[in-house]
Amino acid sequence: MYFQIEDWFPVILSLRVAILVVIMVAALGLPLSRFMARHDFYGKDVLEAFITLPLVLPPSVIGYGLLVLIGKNGVIGKYLDTLGINLIFTWYAIIMAAAVVAFPLFYQTAKAAFNSVDPNYEKAARTLGANELRVFFTITLPLAWPGVTAGLVLAFARALGEFGATLMVAGNIPGQTQTIPVAIYYAVDRGDDVTARTLVLIITLFSFAVIWGVNRWRKNIE
Amino acid sequence: MLEAHILKALWHFDLDLQLHIGNQIVVLWGPSGCGKTTTLNILAGLLAPEQGRITLHEQVLFSSSSHINIPARHRHIGYLFQDYALFPHKTVMQNVRYGIRSKSSDRSISPQDPKQLLKTFGIRHLVDRYPGQLSGGEKQRVALARALITDPKLLLLDEPFSALDYENKVRLRQELKHIHNEWRIPLVMVTHDQEDASYLGDVIMKLEMGRIVDRVYPETAGPPENIEVAGRNFVLGVEY
Amino acid sequence: MKRLWILIGLMILALACVGCSSQPTSAPAPTPQAQPVTLTVAAAASLTDVAKELQTVYSTKHPNLTIAYTLAASGTLQQQIEQGAPVDLFISAGKSQMDALEQKGLIVTATRKNVVGNELVLVAGKDSKLNAFDGLKDATVKKIAIGTPESVPAGQYAKDTLTTLGMWDQLQPKLIQAKDVRSVLNYVETGEVDAGLVYRTDAATSDKVKIVAAAPAGSSKPIIYPMAIIASSKHQQEAQQFEDFLTSAEATQLFAKYGFTKPAQ
Repeated sequence: MYFQIEDWFPVILSLRVAILVVIMVAALGLPLSRFMARHDFYGKDVLEAFITLPLVLPPSVIGYGLLVLIGKNGVIGKYLDTLGINLIFTWYAIIMAAAVVAFPLFYQTAKAAFNSVDPNYEKAARTLGANELRVFFTITLPLAWPGVTAGLVLAFARALGEFGATLMVAGNIPGQTQTIPVAIYYAVDRGDDVTARTLVLIITLFSFAVIWGVNRWRKNIE
Repeated sequence: MLEAHILKALWHFDLDLQLHIGNQIVVLWGPSGCGKTTTLNILAGLLAPEQGRITLHEQVLFSSSSHINIPARHRHIGYLFQDYALFPHKTVMQNVRYGIRSKSSDRSISPQDPKQLLKTFGIRHLVDRYPGQLSGGEKQRVALARALITDPKLLLLDEPFSALDYENKVRLRQELKHIHNEWRIPLVMVTHDQEDASYLGDVIMKLEMGRIVDRVYPETAGPPENIEVAGRNFVLGVEY
Repeated sequence: MKRLWILIGLMILALACVGCSSQPTSAPAPTPQAQPVTLTVAAAASLTDVAKELQTVYSTKHPNLTIAYTLAASGTLQQQIEQGAPVDLFISAGKSQMDALEQKGLIVTATRKNVVGNELVLVAGKDSKLNAFDGLKDATVKKIAIGTPESVPAGQYAKDTLTTLGMWDQLQPKLIQAKDVRSVLNYVETGEVDAGLVYRTDAATSDKVKIVAAAPAGSSKPIIYPMAIIASSKHQQEAQQFEDFLTSAEATQLFAKYGFTKPAQ
């Protein structure tokens, strides 16, 4: 058999994670990138460097950093432990890892999109009585939308394909934390080419469909 | 009656102005970079001066001593931006109506009827077009309609004719003068075109390095009402 | 058309939210009698296939126990355990990782045993004329793949064996050091190299290579897979039971099926 899959779990898990991560990243990233696009303040460069860091660090380094942070002896982990919570080897850890690596991708893209919106449009809206929230949702966001959606697609793809950091904090527990990339890696590692091939096909087709679909949708609304 | 005393440090100089304007057309005239657009933005509430006081019809819009700074959206002003700033993703009608929706809860305003306003401006037939499909003159009229729909108490215009060819310019400034006769509100206009300035302005204030260095009352305008000249008294002829 | 996209969007959101409150899992529902226990076993990735079968056999004997394996490189597992990952039993593919944990006091030393052993074998393509380690010195053998000795345990064992056989220096220029055993196998399968050194269990996974010879006994330190219960485990009794199973005759037979050997102690 050339293609076969016995366990759909990684597919469903990866999709769930990617979608949730996109929602989280958008919720935090939209206001942040909008704010940073329009304001300057002391220490802004330092903050931006910090936000962008996951882009340049190898995922395994990020994974190790997260492990140290939320592991039982970590700064956050210690506190969680007193509450009886351990995030390692859970899907929450997967979401954390994917969100950390996907965030800077969305942030950069969205910020550039907001920067490209002529501030005069926003000023005009203000003189016409709109409060900041209305300006954002009726003027800024719609005009920045193509860039913002590009950022969302990037974040989705990155979350879907995240491997190194995920492995470190969530492990490879088939049926619980085994995402598609992890499943592919270990299928190849033990010589199970059929499973590997099938998963690669699935993830490729799905990513292709999402990117194509989003582009079509963007063309339609213009 | 607009009264403004503004102090703000800018790049190379300080902006230091005093304005007392009744229901007339005031032209802010001067080379680029002398603070004209900044003045408009301050009057509009988009920018705050460091010190000063701005009142419009007895309502205090800004007072540095009393720590009052009413944001732009509550100032009841209309602003025509250079290049018009028409929302490119909205139709003409949506652009014009934008001000109504924002202020629908503010009962001190009685907005104009959009369709009627568009008819007055001669652009009713453009309601479903997008700004990208309009000519320069059409855009200008839409921008004006959009600014006036909320019945503002003050109208600010930033180089409203700079993007137009001569014919359109002449026609539109005649229309603007006509509109001002109907809408008796203070109108502050920034321009560097001498013709526009002397045709429209009841008083031309020459700005240089952030200060008013001269006030000119062109003959073509009638005797201005309620003029109070702060500081020096100028009696000068028309300057071309 | 617009409605269709909204519908698709909602379906995807629904998919994401179903089970949002709980961790998605495909573990079978436990029987209602006893308290269901999940044993987290961290095992080296090379044990994946045999681990699955062991789990199936074990769960028929212990229906209210679920085994959740986390399978990765021994070094990764070691780091995770050091950082407090909730593991009950650790099966490592190398001695050094277990030693490190023992030194840090993270394992129950009394429970440390060697569960299985492995053998280093020389593999080559099906058509190869190679028939012994000696043949590696031949001029027709141009490239030999091994794991990188510093980071891959199998690579270290390969180096030891070749050194013992007195061939290490001579073969140096022909050696290709790969990042893991899978790569070594791939190189041999695709003909990129003429021969490779891997574990017997790895060779068994590929039908495109043949085992030429086994490393002579004693040519390297014994290849053993140690296991131990983690000190912080909350299920030490169950972990002990599983350990006992792994050293039982039944398990040993299963291991042998996959190419593992009885371990040196």
